[in-house]
Amino acid sequence: MSDAATQGYYTAEEAEAVFQQANDAYGREDYATAQAHYEKLIAHGFGGPDVLYNLGTTHLARGDLGRAVLALEQAWKQGGRAADLEANLALARARQVDKVVGATADEAFLPRLAAATDGAAVAWVFFVAWLVGFALLLFRRVFPALRRTAVAVVAGLCLTAAVPAAMLLAAHIWVHQNVHEAVVLSPTLVARELPRSEGRSLFEVHAGLKVQLLEETGKYVRIRLPNGLEGWAERDGVAEI
Amino acid sequence: MRRTGSGRTALLAVLALLATAPAWAADIEFYQTVDRTEVGTDDTFKLTVVVVDAPSNAQVRLPESNDFEVLSSSRGSQRSISLSGGGPAVIQDITRHELIMRPLRAGKLTIPPSTLTAGGRTYRTDAVQLTAREGHAGGAPQAQQGGRPSLPDPFRNFRNMPDPFGDDDSDLNDDEPVIPRGDSDLFLRASLDRDDLYVGEQATLSLYIYSRVDLSSVDAVTMPKLEGFWTEEVESPTQLTGEQKVVDGIPYRAYLLRRRALFPVKSGTLLITPAEADITTGFLFAGHRVHRVSNGLKVKVRPLPSGAPPNMSNANVGSWRMSLDVSQTRVELGQPITVKVILEGQGNVKNVTPPKLTGPAALKIYEPTTTDRVTPNRNRIQGRRVVEYLVMPQRTGTFTLPELRFPYFDPSRRQYETARTDPVTITVEAGAGGVSSLPSAMTPSQVADAANEQKNVLTTGGLRPVRAQAHFVGPSQPVWMRPFFIAGVLAPLGLLAGVAFIGGMRGRLATRSEAGRGRQQAKAARKRLAEAEKLKAGADAGAFYVEVEKAMVGFLEAQLGFPVGGLTREALGEKLAAAGVDAERRARVLFVLEACDLGRYGGGVEPGERRKVLATAAAVMEGWAG
Repeated sequence: MSDAATQGYYTAEEAEAVFQQANDAYGREDYATAQAHYEKLIAHGFGGPDVLYNLGTTHLARGDLGRAVLALEQAWKQGGRAADLEANLALARARQVDKVVGATADEAFLPRLAAATDGAAVAWVFFVAWLVGFALLLFRRVFPALRRTAVAVVAGLCLTAAVPAAMLLAAHIWVHQNVHEAVVLSPTLVARELPRSEGRSLFEVHAGLKVQLLEETGKYVRIRLPNGLEGWAERDGVAEI
Repeated sequence: MRRTGSGRTALLAVLALLATAPAWAADIEFYQTVDRTEVGTDDTFKLTVVVVDAPSNAQVRLPESNDFEVLSSSRGSQRSISLSGGGPAVIQDITRHELIMRPLRAGKLTIPPSTLTAGGRTYRTDAVQLTAREGHAGGAPQAQQGGRPSLPDPFRNFRNMPDPFGDDDSDLNDDEPVIPRGDSDLFLRASLDRDDLYVGEQATLSLYIYSRVDLSSVDAVTMPKLEGFWTEEVESPTQLTGEQKVVDGIPYRAYLLRRRALFPVKSGTLLITPAEADITTGFLFAGHRVHRVSNGLKVKVRPLPSGAPPNMSNANVGSWRMSLDVSQTRVELGQPITVKVILEGQGNVKNVTPPKLTGPAALKIYEPTTTDRVTPNRNRIQGRRVVEYLVMPQRTGTFTLPELRFPYFDPSRRQYETARTDPVTITVEAGAGGVSSLPSAMTPSQVADAANEQKNVLTTGGLRPVRAQAHFVGPSQPVWMRPFFIAGVLAPLGLLAGVAFIGGMRGRLATRSEAGRGRQQAKAARKRLAEAEKLKAGADAGAFYVEVEKAMVGFLEAQLGFPVGGLTREALGEKLAAAGVDAERRARVLFVLEACDLGRYGGGVEPGERRKVLATAAAVMEGWAG
């Protein structure tokens, strides 16, 4: 690695070299070094689903369940959906201490809808359909008279397809703006009735559990479990995905 | 049970003395001495009042002064028998009163004389002068006698006795007990070898009975509450063994009741409540039971210094060595390996947790069993903790058990250390294996697993590997928040709005005045006339004249501002005249319209005729005002 690489800037080649070093360290089961390299890449702007997946896998190998789930969920959110990611995420979830009963019954529709679809893909589908539809409408006169009807039909189809895509995109935007998901990092995190240390303890959650952040006051955040359980927990104990 | 005195021996001695019919000494000797002449107000000194050959009914009055306080007093008697020549034995009774005293103020102080009343006479000792200073005066006590200097000291055998704790417990720095005022003959004393230590470091608590009377039994001992400590028993004698110990010059027998190692688990000032004991003194029916409460103790516990390795437990304090004992490094599939993680050294053996053995997925590591061996030495807890793992290879190949690290704080060096083991490489080969070679310590389920695991197990479960290639992506906003996306979505709408706006503006501008509309219509009429010119050489004369007529009518409507299509020629002429059109132009208009009527119905097929009509129509339009 060159000096530049250690001083805050990586070229693409240097980033690739750091990535390979991290993989080599992982292969030697030197997880601490591997983790440091992956984190360095992300800090220098060379992130993405692949790096996040490897980082999450390294955390999982080290037994840091909270950070493993966090990195894997971030990889998932950035579109890195693949069989290996799903497998390791499932493995991490299987190791979690907490079992949230009734998790799916009360889960809101929009977050589930957003979770089931790729926001970026939805955005692109809408964008292309929208632009093509209008472009065909505007430039219909350019086409010969005999083809103008066909052009109009195609434009109509594009704009029709843009409508559900727009609705799905709106759902993603709403979830992005209003639903803040986080992962518990602390081995044990106490959820209290009030946002202060002497508040009555309602329940405890453990590393790796995915929760929703509702509001923040001082050093406390109000968390909601997938089954609707709510409580105030220390901000440092969770990390937003 | 040991006793502090021997009454039977003394009785026999008295009987023996009576049998010899000795001669009693005649003169009474009476004097007092102090062991030092300079003393501090925080020091104690000893006043000894000696009475020799006093009658049995003699009354001794010890000195009283407001300048001193008497911390304790004791009385001892001795009878000496001197045999010289062939004469009778000379018997001397010596009674010694010892007072442990402390000056209450500094200055030149005087201890008043003691008085002895016997046989109607009163004897007095000399007063004793001494100098008292503030605080500690220092210096060893020196005998200063206020009367006859040399008499046998009945307690000399107790002086300078080897401290029973001195050899065995050289590192046990018990502080000197303080004799309680009320229970000076029998008291309970708790002591610590140190009262300033780190979290997890050992302090040793000792509980003693100090007694100057005979003990019959210790019926109950209530140990102090030791909140904030992890405790380990060091010594708990089943029989009381007394040791001579001198406290403030007074000999006692000290009996160890309990000795415990304390390991503080939190920092701060921790309190140790007093211990209590029920003790029976004396013999048989003469004995009585007393209850004694010891002193309380206070321990200052420091947190471990900063710079601790991450995730290090507070219990990892002491001096430790770690080793790995692997039963075999080359095995066949199905043969288990025993791996022992051994942590040994000085510290809280039962509370330290050796690092967990990890290994590749190909080596199945079962839950371990832990055995401890605690061997206190010189009151320090030490020993070894062995965590034994059963490792069952599941695949062939060469695998490595990684190095283990055990960070700890060494209080003697005041620094963090790390005990570590080397990585161990294990080679697993395909082979027959066999459950017959399994160790006896295995559970049935482990045996069953072993039997099933003689195959090279290739499963899909476990952690998926990391990705070998990465497509790097910098931190970015979602697609829909990027500027191009917003611009792209809004652009068609803006374009539509723009077109509509421009169209509307154009229509509005066009219809803003009749003159403008007329000009537009006239322009359209001229355009139509230009279209008709294209048809003048064509075969279809009708089409030509239709175009010319439409052009003319459109032109007239544009110029006149009203429809002219349904007007007769006369009416049109009048309208034109009313509009101020001159006669020649009116005639031309009518000529063109007449020609067009004829042409539509078959006339005017000549090209020359068409050119004339076209030229006339053009002349009408060109010369028209406006």
